[in-house]
Amino acid sequence: MEEKLTQRSVWEKISAKLTKRSLWMLHYCTGCGAVELPPTMTARFDMERFGINPMVTPRQADILLITGYLSIKTLKRVVLTYEQMQGPKYVVGFGSCTINGGMYWNSYATMKSLDRYIPVETYIAGCMPRPEAIIASFNDLIAKIDRGEANSWKEYYNNYDFYKENQNKVFEGPIETYNDIKADAALFKI
Amino acid sequence: MSIVSNLLLITLAGVVLNVLFYKSKTVQKYLSLLLFTALAYFSFTMYGQVGLHFDFPFLIAGQSIGFTITYLNYYFTIMITGITLLLVIFSLKYMEGKEGSTHYYTVLFLKTFGMLGVVLSSDIITFFVFWEIMSWSTFALMSTGGNEAPKSAFKYFVFAITASMILMVGVVLSYSLFGSFDFNIIRSGIPSLTLPMTGFLLTIFITAFAIESAVFPVHSWLPNGYSNTFTTFTAYLSGISTRIGIYGIILFLFGIFGMETVDKLSIIGKINFRYVLGVFAAITMVVPTFTALYQHDAKKLIAWHSIGQGGYMLIGLASGSALGIAGGMLHILNYLTYQVLIVFAIASVQYRTGTTNLNKLGGLIKKMPVSFLALLFGIIGLAGLPPMNVFVSKWFIYRALILEGYPFLAIAAVIGTLGTILSVYKLIHNMFLGQLPERYNDIKEVGFSMQLPMWILMIVVFGLGVFPGFAMGLIAKIQVSLGLAAVPYSLHGVTAEGGQLNMLVVNVLFVSGMFVTWIIYLLGSRRKHVGQYNNYAGGHFLNKDVAYNFNYEFYAAMEHVIDPYRKKIIERTERGIVGLTDAVSEYVRRIYTGMINTYAIYVLTAFVITIILLKELI
Amino acid sequence: MNTVLWIIFLPIILFVIGTFMLGYSRKFIARIERRYGPPIQQVFYDVFKLMSKKTNISHGWMHDIAMLVLLGGTLATLYFVPVPGFSYFAQYGDMLVIMYILLVPALGMALGVGETANPNGSIGISRALMMLAGYDIPFVLTFIGFGMLNHTTSMYDLMMIQQAGGFTSWGLISNPLLGIAALIALQGMIGEKPFEVMVAPHEIATGPMTEMGGKFLGIMMIQHAISLVVELTLYINLFLGGAMNWFEYIIKLFVLFTVLISVNAVFGRFRTDDAVRFMWKIPLPMAVIGILFIIF
Repeated sequence: MEEKLTQRSVWEKISAKLTKRSLWMLHYCTGCGAVELPPTMTARFDMERFGINPMVTPRQADILLITGYLSIKTLKRVVLTYEQMQGPKYVVGFGSCTINGGMYWNSYATMKSLDRYIPVETYIAGCMPRPEAIIASFNDLIAKIDRGEANSWKEYYNNYDFYKENQNKVFEGPIETYNDIKADAALFKI
Repeated sequence: MSIVSNLLLITLAGVVLNVLFYKSKTVQKYLSLLLFTALAYFSFTMYGQVGLHFDFPFLIAGQSIGFTITYLNYYFTIMITGITLLLVIFSLKYMEGKEGSTHYYTVLFLKTFGMLGVVLSSDIITFFVFWEIMSWSTFALMSTGGNEAPKSAFKYFVFAITASMILMVGVVLSYSLFGSFDFNIIRSGIPSLTLPMTGFLLTIFITAFAIESAVFPVHSWLPNGYSNTFTTFTAYLSGISTRIGIYGIILFLFGIFGMETVDKLSIIGKINFRYVLGVFAAITMVVPTFTALYQHDAKKLIAWHSIGQGGYMLIGLASGSALGIAGGMLHILNYLTYQVLIVFAIASVQYRTGTTNLNKLGGLIKKMPVSFLALLFGIIGLAGLPPMNVFVSKWFIYRALILEGYPFLAIAAVIGTLGTILSVYKLIHNMFLGQLPERYNDIKEVGFSMQLPMWILMIVVFGLGVFPGFAMGLIAKIQVSLGLAAVPYSLHGVTAEGGQLNMLVVNVLFVSGMFVTWIIYLLGSRRKHVGQYNNYAGGHFLNKDVAYNFNYEFYAAMEHVIDPYRKKIIERTERGIVGLTDAVSEYVRRIYTGMINTYAIYVLTAFVITIILLKELI
Repeated sequence: MNTVLWIIFLPIILFVIGTFMLGYSRKFIARIERRYGPPIQQVFYDVFKLMSKKTNISHGWMHDIAMLVLLGGTLATLYFVPVPGFSYFAQYGDMLVIMYILLVPALGMALGVGETANPNGSIGISRALMMLAGYDIPFVLTFIGFGMLNHTTSMYDLMMIQQAGGFTSWGLISNPLLGIAALIALQGMIGEKPFEVMVAPHEIATGPMTEMGGKFLGIMMIQHAISLVVELTLYINLFLGGAMNWFEYIIKLFVLFTVLISVNAVFGRFRTDDAVRFMWKIPLPMAVIGILFIIF
């Protein structure tokens, strides 16, 4: 789904230039890609100089990193966490498993395409990507925010039926996240 | 009929009528409401009649005894009657359907009768008689209301009898020294005593009053006694009843003995009588506030705090400067307002949920916002933070202690405040904040008759915080009437050299800071209110079956830090005192041998000794 | 007119200084850890990003009001602390008022965090309050000592006495025991390691900040920056001679802050009871002995 670029106001441009420099990553390590995060955060590759910090709870975080395969059990928690995050928020899919199922393409217990369940902003190809690749993709994300194209979080509100239907198919029944997405969309005018 | 006799006759009438109508609770309720309103009206209008004297129509030992109105009496009388009126308004709804409440209003009237007699008395016999009435009625008050109540009331009774006996020694001694009961005559006779006798007499009186106002180490009757009775009685007892001891201390220390006499009693240099009193007050401030951390019953927690706050009043009085004494006296009024507010909030919660166990409550802010607000005001008051009224009295006390050069007493006061902040946060957190258990989903806020006293007290607490000058006027007059220097006050605080206090500036800054923050807050986008299950739990799905709160042992780490000191010092002290009392009583017990021969020998010996002594005299 | 301008701009100036100091601390710690670290203006970006979040979540009206009390209380406090060129309000409130008003924002935030109904937040608040009981006692004791020595409790008078006396009348030089005790207590007051246990990200999910996001967290960060500057200014006014012009003031702020974050960079976190015991075993007896020196 391509995002059509509309003319942004001056305030939105300034705001994008400032907010792109401070992105907080949820320290939620889901799959085998979690092991690539500590080198990225620590002194050798130093993610903090771009303003990207690990943060603990979804209320405080902007970036949700899905690092690797996602079992259906974990997918329920990921959806809960994603709905608890506050917008604007960006999901980054790590590794091939989020793109097409990767190494576990034949498994009954993992999901095959992350984009069906929550909207994804960028992907990082690899099995596992090295810290240099992670930092390069974060720079891409920062550039995307600067251009004003990083609006996939709004799609969750606007196309909620699509996502919910996919989730329910694979969860065998709806999960209770205590978040009324349609009402939120009306309240926050998304 | 003078106004003093009006007050006493109204309370007596209340006792009698409530006993007569004990079958009908409704008549008792509204009758008491009417009588207490009249009482409050009469006592507030007593202001213009300061200096009035009212005597009993009979004489004792050739002297007239009776009552008088002074500024100090007036101060305490309006506190007593005001708070009883609010209590009765609150109890209209609260006491419905509670067993053991047949004589609720009777004992309340009796106690008020005793207290009014004590504070209005003008000579030492009236004081003593009404003191006894007050102690007995406090015992009656404490023993209503539950299964544990009579036992704890009996513990109080033992302490109260001891205090009364010590007081009687003081009364008899002062009569034999001065030949009169009247306070004025005693006051003029004090400077002619020798110094050891003055010290002995003062110590007797102060000890008796200290037992009644629960100074460490004679405080152990208070927590159980206050918490096992009806919650409204807890408010009454902790609010004003214990402070009658403080009234006695003010009266005797400053009114009768006087500052110059007291200052002459010193051991080494700065270690004088006031300093020893201050040390006891300091320990009273520190130890109970840290014991309150451990409590998981809300009423016990607040009872321990009443011991601690009594220490503040004493330390203000012991500091000796105009500012400190004013602070100590102002603290009585401030303490009354917020303590009763806190207990009313606890009583409202108990009325709706049936429990005061802090481990079982939680999250009631969504259901009972007015009670939460009342408890919040009370807690800000108890901790002594601006913008409430208690900050003013605490500021006075601290400044007096710093400027008079008592740094360790000042730091004890600071430790007391910090301990208070810790334990009151636990109180409000476990009751009103946190997760709301499923079983409390249907409770509602309390009715209007229970909210009204809380609103009145909240307005008083906040109003006296912004305009402390209203209370300061009366305090200054009391100080002048006791022969002390008056505190230099203004409507908003105190203007003295070396740092001043202006509550209006503090409060205005506070409110404007909040206003500016509100503007910053509005600059962000809209916010949505979510329920308590929409919460971070590490990805876990929350529902009503998941216990997701932190109530139990809220300050576990602090308990680890304090436990060694508590076990070593406090428990050993208490065991020492208990052991000493045990040994002495064991020894004294041997007098009662149960054989009639020894009793005959006792009588004979006493007879012989009396003959010998009389022979000496004749 | 001058006063009105000061009243309007002082919070903004202190906020700017505070954010630069926080950014400086992140850079400093990063350099100690042999990496580049974020730019000095990073905290501005953080605050801006937080305030510009589009969807904000709160748990109730107490949660909202707590934020107002938090920052409002800190704004009220900063007017009472004398800064170079502006001490209009300092005459209306002395050190006792300041010590007490400093407690009001903490209580407000504690109530708001309680409303979020998250036990991580409650644990964080209980730890924060216990730490408060730990460091506040030696800190206030040093203030009381100075008040007793000079027979005044007004911060402005104490600052003037030190300015008049020159270098040797600085609190730290004339009373080194009290000065060092207050320095250790100050480390606890600004919440830096080793006394950082209330914000333990991996144990209790950042404690009080667990359910705060968006503009709530933004207000908390603004408050953190301003209260940092206020607390350091308190110490400077009492122990480092105060400051009569802004150049001296900023130099003293940065030197003091560098000392404190150097300790922060190399320590882990003390456990709560260890931290309270430490505060009561080392700074408190130092302060007591310092006061005994004053008395005798």
